[in-house]
Order: sequence, then structure tokens, then C-alpha cells
Amino acid sequence: MRAKIQNAASEPVRSEELAGLDFFRDLADRYLSIEGLEARWVPIQREDLRPGKPDALRLHHLLSLTRAVEETLDSAFRSGHVPGTAFFSRGNEAAGVGSASCLREEEWLVPMHRNCGAHLAKGHPPVSIMAHFFGRAGGPSEGRDGNFHMGYRPKKITQLISHIGTMVPIAAGIAWAAKLQRNGQAVLTYIGDGGTSSGDFHEAMNFAAVRKFPLAVVIDNNQYAYKTPLSDQYACPALALRASGYGVPGFLIDGTDVLLVREVVSRALERARRGGGPTLIESVTMRLGGHSVYDRFTDYVDMEKFKLWQEKRDPIKRFDQYLIEYEVLTPEEIAASHARARREAEEARDTALKLPFPDPAKVAEGVFAE
Amino acid sequence: MSLITYREALSAALWEEMERDERVFLVGEDIGLGGGAFYITKGFQQHFGRDRVVDAPLSEAGFTGAAIGAALAGMRPVVEYQFADFVTEAFKMIVDFAAGNHYRRMGPVPIVLRLPSAALVSGGPYHSVNPESWFFGTPGLKIVAPATAYDAKGMLKQAIRDDNPVIFMEYKKFYNYRPADLPPQLQIDVPEGDYTVPFGQARTLREGEDLTLLTFGTSVLEALEAAQVLEREGVSAEVIDLRTLVPMDKEAILRSVKKTGKLLILHEARKRGGVGGEIAALIAEEVFEHLDAPIRRVGAPDCPVPLSPPLEKAYLPGTAQVVGALRELAAF
Repeated sequence: MRAKIQNAASEPVRSEELAGLDFFRDLADRYLSIEGLEARWVPIQREDLRPGKPDALRLHHLLSLTRAVEETLDSAFRSGHVPGTAFFSRGNEAAGVGSASCLREEEWLVPMHRNCGAHLAKGHPPVSIMAHFFGRAGGPSEGRDGNFHMGYRPKKITQLISHIGTMVPIAAGIAWAAKLQRNGQAVLTYIGDGGTSSGDFHEAMNFAAVRKFPLAVVIDNNQYAYKTPLSDQYACPALALRASGYGVPGFLIDGTDVLLVREVVSRALERARRGGGPTLIESVTMRLGGHSVYDRFTDYVDMEKFKLWQEKRDPIKRFDQYLIEYEVLTPEEIAASHARARREAEEARDTALKLPFPDPAKVAEGVFAE
Repeated sequence: MSLITYREALSAALWEEMERDERVFLVGEDIGLGGGAFYITKGFQQHFGRDRVVDAPLSEAGFTGAAIGAALAGMRPVVEYQFADFVTEAFKMIVDFAAGNHYRRMGPVPIVLRLPSAALVSGGPYHSVNPESWFFGTPGLKIVAPATAYDAKGMLKQAIRDDNPVIFMEYKKFYNYRPADLPPQLQIDVPEGDYTVPFGQARTLREGEDLTLLTFGTSVLEALEAAQVLEREGVSAEVIDLRTLVPMDKEAILRSVKKTGKLLILHEARKRGGVGGEIAALIAEEVFEHLDAPIRRVGAPDCPVPLSPPLEKAYLPGTAQVVGALRELAAF
């Protein structure tokens, strides 16, 4: 399957061609592969990516669960159960699920704030995610933090801080430890399109490349850094092209195709595990919502483009259609999967809402490890 | 007595801990083949290899963050900053991520951040900082300030074995000092082999009855000199070296103030926003009734550290200034 895709690579792409890159049109049936100074288009043979039925059921469940968990949290927010704010990943579910499902149980995931799908794919139980959002004692931070500022140590998921970009060095460091421990593990992390402008991102990419840390970095390019459009964020045609500058391989892919994400990320992780060093993958999606629940995004988002992506590149609709078209699952099986995800999310919410709040007397406890 | 230098004590601690525990590794700019700006790790890379003594690219945020990540994943990194001043580049990694990780219930971050601190001759505004107050207000960081070779070695070992992030201030001015070069109270031998110095235990450098002179870091020298001058004038000053700022030996401070009734806090860092203010408030809150005089502080003036020798001399709290403050306190 892999050999087939790689052999299909075309002639190097000229920079004039990349200057007018249109993510919607140009990534529809191919992806860009960057090696050294050359970028090449690689056609996608969708038949080659076809999963077996158990795999398809698992991926479908995770995708559907991601949306169900976030929709349930959204309504819980509107009912006043979520202190603070909430960031959701609508439009990005396939990128999170497709990438994190490539990690082995013992490997670390370093997620960002829009990677609910990655959390679920790595095994973070929905009830724990909900408890965290609700500021309950049973959540992973026991009420110390909320929103997607969480990790889950039992499944080797780190938490994050609000300072965008900082997590890429942390992920590089976990990969560094894997290298020193010679445990054959790779690490996966994410950064948004906005985060790539931060110095931390650059420092970590450079260090990881110099030392060949086993790391895969996915740029979740959802086309808006809060309210700033891409044209005000960076001047290169694609962020993946920066891979050349670090001396690592790069990919520019449509991140709404869960099977493609999985294929490219699993290849990057395999390379990392073999000692090949980091890979930079730009996964393009459209943020199908505001930055946070408070954001009136219709003020600044190009709604025509928004509707186009919503109709044609909704990752969950896409996967449903694919599975039917390639006769992997029946429409009934897909409907049952959606119903199951919805039920699981709502049960998790009900359970989490019954958990106690943290004990205020313990507010100053646990600052230091004893 | 072996009486090694402060620098040799630091090197020995690192070397022995690396031999003892293979999870310990070092990262910093120029520390590999070059042995670091101050040669603390000279010869380390040749012995321990390129994987455990890592020349980092010029990127404090990147390599500090990476060291924190490695600590989360089971390693024991020791980060060297070329000068304490440059830690600002990595500030968010330390105060936002490493310090809070345990409180947010995601596990400890066992990392040591070595900060070559305080003035050296004409270091200027960007090579002379006393960084303690930058970190003092952040929960989750331990802050230590060894003034002797004995403490330097024992506290660095302790820091490496601690499960928390430790801000390890070491003093450039002291690197070449042997205990024999110092006042008798600081001529503390560094024993052969393994020992640690627990955090949170102040050391009384000299017993006294009339007033307490509380200090740490480079200022221990001025403190001892000033106490000696006062002794000739018939004033008995108790000199205490705090050694650790977080955790702080509150008991030792309160005990001494209750005994003498008068307190002078001395540190090389600026007075404004300094650690001395916190200690003064602690005394005022807890043992006010034992005070026989207002609490005095001596620290640097409210400006950056200047380079030109006469300016630098005017900036750094010198013995004469301490003596003056002690006299006033004694006479109150």
C-alpha cells in the first residue's frame, strides 16, 4: 500500500505553482511531500487506504465520539456546567483521531487545545474529560484547571498550558527521553497555524532535527489563529515547506480525511521509531466554529468558504460516505455507531455531573512533590 | 582537609550524580567539548558522551522545554544557563509549565536549572543578575543559594535527587574561591564521597546577642566582615546564611529575631521586590512584639546593574553600607 503511493510521486513542484495554493481545490485528491529542497505532489488512491472492518468500526466510533463529546460539552456549557470557557475541534476530528490512533499504548501524546479526538483515540475516557471541564474532583487536574488544558497520565497524555508554542519543546523533550532510554518509542504533538509563528516552535523543531529526536509534529492548520487570517500569520505558501529549513521531511495534507492522516502520520512515527528523526506534517482543516464558545466568528470568517468546507469536507460526513462507497460498513452500522457515541457521551456527562467539587480546604495542597 | 574550590565542588556533584544515576544528563550552551563558559563541565563529554552532555542550540526556551519534557518522561536533566540573566528566555517554560505541573495533578518535574548568578567584575546589566525574585513569587519552584563549596556540592546533589524543579543559583564570584580564601566561618571542608545538604535549613555563621544579620548568597562575605567590625565596637551580631529561599527556614529566622530583637536583612539583589521584603513582612506578622527596632534592609538600589567600575561599586551593597546600617540598628 505504501510503496504504491510513494511510487506515484510526480515531478518536483515549481514555486510559482505553490504561490497560488488553494487548500480546498489543490488537496482534494493528492498531497504534497517535501524531501530536501524538493516538493512533489502525490496522488491519493483511496482504494489503497481502505481499512478492514474492525479498524473502520474503531475509527468511526472515535470520530463520532469526538463530535458527540464536544456537542454534549457545548450544551453543558450553555446550561452553566462549564466554568471558564471551552474550545472545540469541529472540523478537526479526523486529524486528531487519525494521528493519535497511530500511537502505541506506551507512547506519549502531547495534545493541544483542539485535539479532543486525539485524547479519545489515546484512551482518555469521556467521563474524565467531562469531569475536567466541569471543574470536578474526579477530573485529571482535580479542578486545578479546566477546558482542554488537561492531560491524562494513565494513558501517557501530557497536559498543556495556554502559552501557544510551548508544548512543542516539551514534546521534543519527551522524544529526547525516549532516545536516551532507547525504548524505540515515538512522540506525537500538535501546533496550530498560529503557533508556528512562535519562537518555541522553531527552537523545538531545530533542536529535535539536530538531535534526531523521535517526534512527529502535526500542524493543525484550521485557517484561523483566533481571529487572524492566515495571510496575516505567515508569508510562505505552506507551513510544511518549512520542513526543508529544519532538514526534516514535510507533508501537506487534507486533514479532513481520517485515512490519509493516519497513513501519513503512521509513516512519520515509524520513521521516528527507526531513528530517522522528526517529521513535520501540515494538516489542513477548517475550524467549523469559533475560537472558543464566546467567539462571534461570523464577524470575521469568510462564510462562503466556511460553508463550502462544512458541506464538502466535514470529516465525519466524509468518512460515513467513504465507508458506504467502498462497502466497508453498511448505513445501518454507521447509524448504530453514531447512536452509540451519542449515548456514551451523554452517560459520561451524567456521571461527571454527579462527581463532587474539589474540597476548598485543599486549595494550597500539592504544590510540591513530597 | 580537601578544601576544593566552589567550582570543583559543583563539578564533583555533577560527575558523581551522573555516575550514580544514568537518568541524569546535562544540557546547556557550549557545555560539551568546550566545558561551558565557566568550565564546570570540562572533560564531561569526553567521559559521558554526546548523549549525556549536550551542547544545545542557542535556544533557552527550546532546550529548557525539552529538558522539562525529558523530566516528565523519567529523566533527571540538569540545565545550565550561560548566565542567570539568560533564563528569561525560558521563563514561561519554568514558571508556567514546570512549576505548576504537580499542582495540576500531572506529576512532578524533576529538573535542576543551574543559574550562574550575581555580579562579577564589570559584568554589566545582562551578566550580573540575582534572579531570585523573578522566581520567588512562583509556587512550585524550590530556590537554593549555596554560599560555600560544601553547600554547592551537597545542595546540587540534593537538587538532582529532588522530584521538583529547583532553581539552583550558583555564584560566579565564588567559583575560584577555596575555603582557605574565606573567613573562618566559611572554611567548611568538602568531604570525600557522597553527601547531600537538605533544603530549608539555615546556617548560623556566627552566634550573637544584640542583633540578627540575615543574608544569603554572595552577601555572606560582606555580612561576616561587617559583623567583625561591629564586634570590635562591642556589638554582637548573629549572622545567618539562609542557604535555601524556598523552602525557607522560618524557624531559624524567628528564633534568632526573638533572641536579639533587631533584624537587618542583606542581599545583593535590589531591595525593591526582593526577598528581604517578604522576610520583613513575616517578622512583622509573627513576632512583632519581640522587635526592639524597625527592621532594616540593605540591598541594591533601584536600577539595573551598571558596568563601569565606580558605578558598579556604588550599586553593590558593600561592607561599609552594611556596617552603617548595623550601627544605626545597634544604636536604636
